[in-house]
Amino acid sequence: MGAHLARRYITETETEPDPAKPFGFDPEFGFGERKEREMVASQAQMNLAQVPVLQRDYCAHHLIKLMKCKRDNWPNFLACKHERHDWDYYEHQDYVMRMKEYERERRLQMRKKRVEEAQAA
Amino acid sequence: MRISLFNVTATIEHGCRGFQKLGSSSFQGETARLLGAFSQIRAASGPSKGLLPGPYPQTPEERAAAAKKYNMRVEDYEPIPDNGEGYGDYPQLPDRSQHERDPWYSWDHPDLRRNWGEPIHWDFDMFIRNRVDTSPSPVAWRTMCKHLFGFVGFMLLMFYLGEKFPSYQPVAPKQYPYSNLHLERGEDPEKQPEEVKHFNI
Repeated sequence: MGAHLARRYITETETEPDPAKPFGFDPEFGFGERKEREMVASQAQMNLAQVPVLQRDYCAHHLIKLMKCKRDNWPNFLACKHERHDWDYYEHQDYVMRMKEYERERRLQMRKKRVEEAQAA
Repeated sequence: MRISLFNVTATIEHGCRGFQKLGSSSFQGETARLLGAFSQIRAASGPSKGLLPGPYPQTPEERAAAAKKYNMRVEDYEPIPDNGEGYGDYPQLPDRSQHERDPWYSWDHPDLRRNWGEPIHWDFDMFIRNRVDTSPSPVAWRTMCKHLFGFVGFMLLMFYLGEKFPSYQPVAPKQYPYSNLHLERGEDPEKQPEEVKHFNI
């Protein structure tokens, strides 16, 4: 918790990735074959469901199911536990993927630095 | 008229015996000045000639007489320095507001914290308890300034450092479909957005 900040600002200032900048490495590098992320809800469906723009991510189909369940079951606010759990779970998976992307970028940066140092030596 | 009404009230309040020496900060003084424009005319309700403030005392006898007039001891009496502003023989009293006087002593006028016959400061109406307060601060002024500006300066420094070195979670930015929601963000529908591919990991 916060080790990345110490790395970024104090110890490894060149190799620690900055999330504000775009990650430069080729996405396929180091993988044999990479599956593309699949978007289930279409733009028209998201528009009809009036999903807020910031929530139109790769988990939006679960969110639309949750919204429908809540609308159908009102005022029983305890009815949609299953749908809510599904949406939460996929959002969690998305966050874990973000963490992995960050770590991949960091390791690629360190590898790049090692390669450059080996070449310079 | 306002003045005559007050004079009537004052007469009823104070009775026929000697007035409180309200000096020239009173309505009676105002009356005297107004009517004094027509020389030698004074309302009968105002202070008698011997009680009004007079010219700056030159001799020790005049000083003693002035001290007696203002109900002060001769040792304590010090007239306001004569700089041409016309204070006359009015005494120079310490510039302390009524807040600094003992709240527990049984004053004749508890709200004003003043006893009957006490000499009144020139700016008495400013020093009442609703107005200017000269009581000392609980901590020395310098200490208060140091603490306040020290704290504010520290907070400014920390906010500046927070801008330069922001704290964030070690995650990549969130990935959105449809070319980063090109149409949903309201961008030009004709313009072809650049191809953005996201992968599982």
